[in-house]
Parts: sequence; structure tokens; C-alpha cells
Amino acid sequence: METGAPAALTPTRDAPAARHGLWDGFTRFLGRREVLPLLLLIPVLIFFIVWNLIPTLWLLGLGFYRFSLTSGRPPRFAGIYNYQTILNDAGIWFDLSRTFIFVFFAVALETIFGVALGLLFWNSHRLPGRRIALTMLFAPMVLTPVAAGTFWRLIYDPTFGVLNFMIRGLGFRSVDFLGDSHVAFGAVLAVDVWMWTPFMVLMTLAALASVPKAELEAAEIDRLAWHQRLRLIVLHHGKFILMLGILLRTIDAFKTMDLIYDMTYGGPGSTTQLVAMTLYRRAFEAFNMGSSSALAVILLLISIAFTATFIFVLHWRERREASP
Amino acid sequence: MPDIRLTHLSRVFGAFKAVDDITTVFPEGTVTCLLGPSGCGKTTLMRMIAGLEMPTTGSINFGQREMTHLPPGKRDVAMVFQYPVMYRTLSVIENIELPLRRDRKLSAAECRRRADEVLEVLQLTGERHKHIGDLDIGTRQKVAVGRAIARRCDVILFDEPTTNVEVHAKLALIRAFKEFRARLKQTVIYVTHDQTEAMTLADQIALMQSGRISQCAPPHVMYDKPESRFGGWFLGNPGMNFVMPRGRENGTIRFDVLPGALAFPALTLGEVSLGIRPEHVDVLAAPSEDAVPARIIRSSITIGGQNLLSLAVGETRLKAKTAPGAPPADGSTVFIRCRLEHAVFFNDGLRLPEAVRLAS
Repeated sequence: METGAPAALTPTRDAPAARHGLWDGFTRFLGRREVLPLLLLIPVLIFFIVWNLIPTLWLLGLGFYRFSLTSGRPPRFAGIYNYQTILNDAGIWFDLSRTFIFVFFAVALETIFGVALGLLFWNSHRLPGRRIALTMLFAPMVLTPVAAGTFWRLIYDPTFGVLNFMIRGLGFRSVDFLGDSHVAFGAVLAVDVWMWTPFMVLMTLAALASVPKAELEAAEIDRLAWHQRLRLIVLHHGKFILMLGILLRTIDAFKTMDLIYDMTYGGPGSTTQLVAMTLYRRAFEAFNMGSSSALAVILLLISIAFTATFIFVLHWRERREASP
Repeated sequence: MPDIRLTHLSRVFGAFKAVDDITTVFPEGTVTCLLGPSGCGKTTLMRMIAGLEMPTTGSINFGQREMTHLPPGKRDVAMVFQYPVMYRTLSVIENIELPLRRDRKLSAAECRRRADEVLEVLQLTGERHKHIGDLDIGTRQKVAVGRAIARRCDVILFDEPTTNVEVHAKLALIRAFKEFRARLKQTVIYVTHDQTEAMTLADQIALMQSGRISQCAPPHVMYDKPESRFGGWFLGNPGMNFVMPRGRENGTIRFDVLPGALAFPALTLGEVSLGIRPEHVDVLAAPSEDAVPARIIRSSITIGGQNLLSLAVGETRLKAKTAPGAPPADGSTVFIRCRLEHAVFFNDGLRLPEAVRLAS
């Protein structure tokens, strides 16, 4: 006679069926057209919220508080006090104007040299040594600003620097590039141009790659002058990528801090003090978190204004043509 | 206007011969259509004439002037590309005037007069101040044609200008091209793979195959007397019928589609075939002494209403075009007569001279 197993040890038929039901439901849920894209977005969204959104909101909030790490007092709500203080601070205005001058000259020179070098490298595929020349050209861009700063500080050194060695060799007196208030700003600017011109070369080469070959050939057959080809064809097709490069460089140059920190520390006096350096000093030397947050918000708004202006200029013609 | 002389012209890309030892003359003041299937080398040949491609070997002369190594700007050529190439920030009139203004001998008034003239012929006067971005692709191509014509260069090159435009714009372009041809007498090279376009526009057609010009002749000669089986197959829609012989005997050759044998003089004959175009095959309802019976496999209607019949005569398959009307039923038996005065004979793929063919 068949006794059979005890009921508790006998696997029932319902349990796996239920598990299958749950699993099926889950796979059906995943299979829905709108679910998978959302699931794939979640890691990016988490990253964005944790690293971008929360710090930005924190920054915005902190700007309305009086909060110094050295006072030992808890943050106190102060309304727009920090903003008023910043706007009434002549030093900040000087730093801002110096930054604007720095950004203008740095980006302009980088664009001019970058476009010129890009045009020289364009269609030079058969030129011997092209690859090594391009690699050497791009080397400054991949250096960390601190390394580049140290490197150039040694080159500029009035006693041991190679540049002064050459100047003396030519019969001139040594120049204290980073210690002379008339020269320091230009010296730092030159290093920034040296570092970031390769980026504009890269953008120019990308822009030139988007120029249709047939249009250049037509221009050659139509005997157009080089400046007409540049204006009517190359810039017309490459302007978006070039403008993007200019925009990225503008925003980046506006934030220049590490290079200055390493080369001059804002000196001599405050002749090379850019606003990002001011922000650093307020936050990590004076530990005035409220004021530095307000200044950071102002810089963020200026960067947004740059971006908006560039995009407006870029699409200005299209909008004008589209209007009745 | 000079003629264009090509001497042993070749262009090699790696192991691929795009243009293979071409020696020919495109006479002055004529329109030569370079016709052939894709990849046959016609665009490469034209680009070498323009100076956009340098030949591997050989030379190019415009009249007595050697052009082989001159850049395009020094050749006095104008060119219309496959896609409408425009200076997109300029208006229609500015696009046409721009190359003219590079010619210091032309006054501003003359530039404007020439531009206005081409706009009138192209029926674009109303669009003269429009921005290029506001025009459709067909109109843009018209402007590109206008820009090339207005320069009045010695040589004008067209690289499949109607390929990417819609049918009405294509007809308008062809009409404008004919109008210009009546007024100006430049040497024109026109690359196309559209045989109708070539037959309509050309003074002579240069048929290309595998980097070589297989035949260069006026359109009617090219159509009626193709030098090779390739020419017979490529021209015509559908192309020529090729009939293989059924048997040879004592210098005569029999074909399924002919009632009797054909006698050939004592020649070293290889693979002989008879070529006849579908419109030269008469389809008869009743038997005739110069016709053979054939079975209709399939019938269809071509543009223009003609019937296109697929026929079988023994093992041989051929096509015939008949006048519009109800075609005979599929599977029915008809009688076909090949008009021998239009037939072409090929020996190893090349046309036999007419003098050697004798009907028995």
C-alpha cells in the first residue's frame, strides 16, 4: 500500500505556479514599451540628481545665509545680504572685469590660432610627419593645468628660466614675467592660449570635415578667392561646430583658477586675480560659505548668459529668414 | 571654342583602373554625352577634364593648349554637379553673378546683364532676389545651371545634373539646356546614365564600359549600329535582342528567328550572334514566307501604349514591340518577321561590318 510523503514535505503545485505568475508579471512589466527606456534612464537620473541638482539647490540656498566655518555659529538666514555685499564690493567688480578681459583675449587668440592651424592641417594627409605634428600640437591640452603651470613657471623664471636665457642671449635684460605687474597678466594669458589652442584646432578640423567637398570643388572651378571660399563655404558649414568650440572655451576660460593658482596665486598684487580665484579664496581661505555660494550663483548666471547669447547669435539668421 | 583632346588618358585608384587608356576627341561646339552604367568611369573622366582629378598617365588638351596639370581655375571650364551646389548665404542673382565678378574684364553692368539673361531663359526672373534656402532642389539646380552658363566658358561640364531633381524640374532643366544650346556654342560634356537624356541632348554619345569608351558616335548611329553587344544591350528599353545561331553549315548560319540560313563570306568566325531591336520584330497573326512561328510567353504595356511581347521560338527567347491595341493572348502562337535591314551581327561580341553579311 502506498503511504505517500508527509504533506509538509511534499512540494505543492501552487507555489511554483505563483512564482511563475510573479515572474511573468515582472517580465510583462519590463516588456512594456515605456518601461525599459525609463529603467535605462534611472542611473543617469540618480547621478544627475545626486551630483548636479542637489548641490546646485544647496548652493542656491546657502547664498541666502550668513555662514562662516570659522565663526562656529550655525547658518543664519540673511535674505539677499550676500548678493548686496558682492555687488557693492569694488574688488569683485575689478576681478570680474579682469576676467572678462582674460576670457575675451584668450578665446579670441585661441580661435584665431586654432582656425589658422586647423586650416594648415586640413587636407595635409600626405604631408610627411603630419601625425607626429598633430600629436605634439595636442600635447598641451592633455596636460593638467597644475603641471603646465609649474612647467611654465620654470620657463618664465627670471634667473634660471630658458626664456630669459634666450632674452639675455639676444642682449636684453631679464624679464620677471610672473613678478612684474605689467607683464604677469599677459604671461598667464599666453600659457592659457598655449594650452587651449589645440582644442580649437580640434574643433576647426571637425568643422572642416563637415564642409561638402562638392562645394569646395565648385568654388575652385568658379575661381573664388580664398577669403570667399572661407566665408561662403567653410564658415557657413563649420560655424556651428566652431561656435560650440568658442562657447565651451568661453565657459571654461571663465572658470580658470588652477593655472593662476599655480603660476601667480593672483599676483603680483591682484593683477592676475580672476573671479574664480576670488571664489576659491572666499570659500577655502576665508571659509565664508554663504558669500562664496552667492558669488558662485552669480558666476553660474553669467555662464548661462554666455550660452544663451551664443545660441541666440548662432540661430539669429535662421530666425530672421523664418520670420515673414 | 576649342575641341577637347584626350590622349592615352588613364586614372588608377590602387589596383582599380577607373579610366583605362582613352584616346578620343570631343569636337568643338558639340554636346558629348558620356553614357554608361554606374562605375564605368564617366564621372572620373569628366573630373579629369575639369581638373578636379589628376590623370595617372596621358594628356588633356583644349585645342592646342595643354591642360593636363593645370588647376580647374585656369582651365576656363564651368561645371554643374549632381547635387545643386550653391553658395547658400547668397541670393539667386548673387549666386550667378559671383563667378562673373571674378572676371576683371567684365564690368558690373555686363555681369548683371548676363545674369539677367540666364534668369530669363531659366524662367527665374521672379526668384532673382530670393534666398537659396527658400528654393526647392529643382530650382536650385536651375540656378547652378545658370551660374555655369552665364560664365560662357570654353567648356561646360554637366555631371548628371538631373539625377536628383523631380520629373517636372528635370523637364524644365532639359528645356533650358536646349534653349541655351541654340544660343551659345560651347563644347559641352554631359555625364548621364539616362539613355533618353543622352539620345535627346547629345550631338554624339561616348558609351563607356569598364573605363574605356566602347563607341563614340551620333545617337542614331549608336542606336542603329552598336559597335558591341554591350552597346546594343545598354541602349534601348528594353535593349537589343541577341539571338544565338542554331547551327553552321558550309559557310552558312541558321538562326531560329529566321526562316532561311544566312551566308557569310570566308571569315574566321568566332561566336556569332544576331542583334535585333524589339521594334524591328514584326508580329503577324497569319503565316508568311519570311516569318517563323513563335509562342507568346507574356505581354505587357510600355510607356506610350505599345505592347511589349516576350516570345519563344524554339529555345530562343526574344522581345517584340507592337502598336497599341489588344495584345495576343499569352500562350497563343503568332508569326514573327525580323527585319533584316535593321539587324546587326556580332562576332565575339563585336559588330561585323555590313559588307560581310549576305542573306541567302
